[in-house]
Amino acid sequence: MNLIGTVDSWAGNPLEVGPMYPWVGLEVGFFLVSLALWIGWMVWLLKTEGTAYLHEVQRLKQRDVSDVVGGEDDIY
Amino acid sequence: MGNQLEAITVIFTEFYYWVTVVLMFLIHVGFCLYEVGVSRRKNMLHTLMKNAMIVPLVTVTFFFFGWWIYFAFQNGPGITGGLKEAPWSLPWNELMGPHMGGQPRDDGLTVADTATWARLNGVFWAAFLLFSWTAASVLSGAVIERIRSGAFWVIAVFVGSVTWVIAAAWGWSDAGWMVHTLGYHDAYAGGVVHGVAGASALAVLVHLGPRIGRFAPDGSARTFPLQNPWLVAIGLFLIFTGFWGFYAACNVPILDIDPEDGRLFFSATTIYLTPTTLSAVTVNLLMALASGMLMAFFLSKGDPFWTFSGGLGGIIGASAGNDLYHPMQVLLVAAVIVFCAFKLHYWVERRFKIDDAVGAIAVHGYCGTLGVVAAGFILWGYPSSPAADSVAITPWGQLIGAVIVFWILGFAPAYVVGGILKRVGILRIPVEVEIAGLDRHTRREERQQSQAIRTAEREHLIRIGWKDGGES
Repeated sequence: MNLIGTVDSWAGNPLEVGPMYPWVGLEVGFFLVSLALWIGWMVWLLKTEGTAYLHEVQRLKQRDVSDVVGGEDDIY
Repeated sequence: MGNQLEAITVIFTEFYYWVTVVLMFLIHVGFCLYEVGVSRRKNMLHTLMKNAMIVPLVTVTFFFFGWWIYFAFQNGPGITGGLKEAPWSLPWNELMGPHMGGQPRDDGLTVADTATWARLNGVFWAAFLLFSWTAASVLSGAVIERIRSGAFWVIAVFVGSVTWVIAAAWGWSDAGWMVHTLGYHDAYAGGVVHGVAGASALAVLVHLGPRIGRFAPDGSARTFPLQNPWLVAIGLFLIFTGFWGFYAACNVPILDIDPEDGRLFFSATTIYLTPTTLSAVTVNLLMALASGMLMAFFLSKGDPFWTFSGGLGGIIGASAGNDLYHPMQVLLVAAVIVFCAFKLHYWVERRFKIDDAVGAIAVHGYCGTLGVVAAGFILWGYPSSPAADSVAITPWGQLIGAVIVFWILGFAPAYVVGGILKRVGILRIPVEVEIAGLDRHTRREERQQSQAIRTAEREHLIRIGWKDGGES
């Protein structure tokens, strides 16, 4: 007997088979976890990006203008 | 699926949309190559990742809420009715997963729902998702080399999983309120995808401002040379190829177009379920491409960037009515629209100092929206849907629809979101970093790693008997 899925046998009338994935009934829970992961990822990204730019600006401010502007290779 | 004919029809439709998704994937590949080809060398990795991450971010958010918005918002809500019930589109619904169409477990579903959606929900979802990527990608090109990735991804999710989807619910659905009230017709999504995305790009650029050095002190625009014209050309040709999938995905491939009359008559239809033929649409796509390229070549005196972009603009400009136009009409419509979009691009650039790095607002925003207006005149009087009480397509219905997609769903929401991001200080990259190059940090790490590897290799040779400075 399938303890976590909805299908015990592929023999029989396939038209009677509904959802085929395991853990039917827990979809809302999976959704909430996934939603939290996405929101968490966005928050992490925005924080990390802000900090990285802050450090990069501090580093660049210690250099000469010619170092920051770069060479012709960077432009074209 | 009650009989064999129905079963074959459904399974063919399922496979058809699957193929459109694969083809449309090329649009995204093309956009990535195109943007990287336009970016200066110091910004290439940032440009690539900014666009590439649209794929995961818009995918998960379109799964979370985009697909539901498409069905639930077809009445507005609050314009011609409330939120519509669409349980199959909810992210936790059983019909979003593998399902054979049998008895539903969810109380909100009927047997008819499972029979219809078990095999089609996923491929319809995926086809719409690829439109979402396109909408977000259109924006991506316009804002390169100075927008922060985080801010862009917030906007990309907003446009890709919310605003264009609302436009589709309203004007690109057989049950949309704009179709049934205004007679809005936009068969290949020139307004609802490209108009919305182009207008959103314009709104974000108002807040973002031009790249440093783009405009001279006297106000004249400077041109940034293409970093890699070959990547730009390949990118645009891949976008052209992907557009076959885009157009195909805008059709229902096989449908009994009047099931009420008791006779079987199968045809391809538009998303409004009005009949058309794949044959006609194929000719029209090619004629629009040809016309757009010819006009853009003429206007730009053979500039490759504008010539290829003009081909895309021609397709997008003719999209609203390409299900019904004659190829000769397509030729003229695409040429006139590309002409107008080209002129508008330079006028807006000069007048408002808008730095659209890839001409996305012109190719997508102006061409798509002008195409919607043009369809109102050319298709004046045609029924907008197969319903007995269908509202006719009219110039004023299309004009109102164009204002809604460009200004109300495209420009205004993106302007608000862009303004908020600017206010909290996370829209634009710090000026020092922008000038030094957005890949500088990555390149520095690469140089350090390369140096460390070279040192390790040298030490290894010495360890196995080589003398420092020569052979043993």
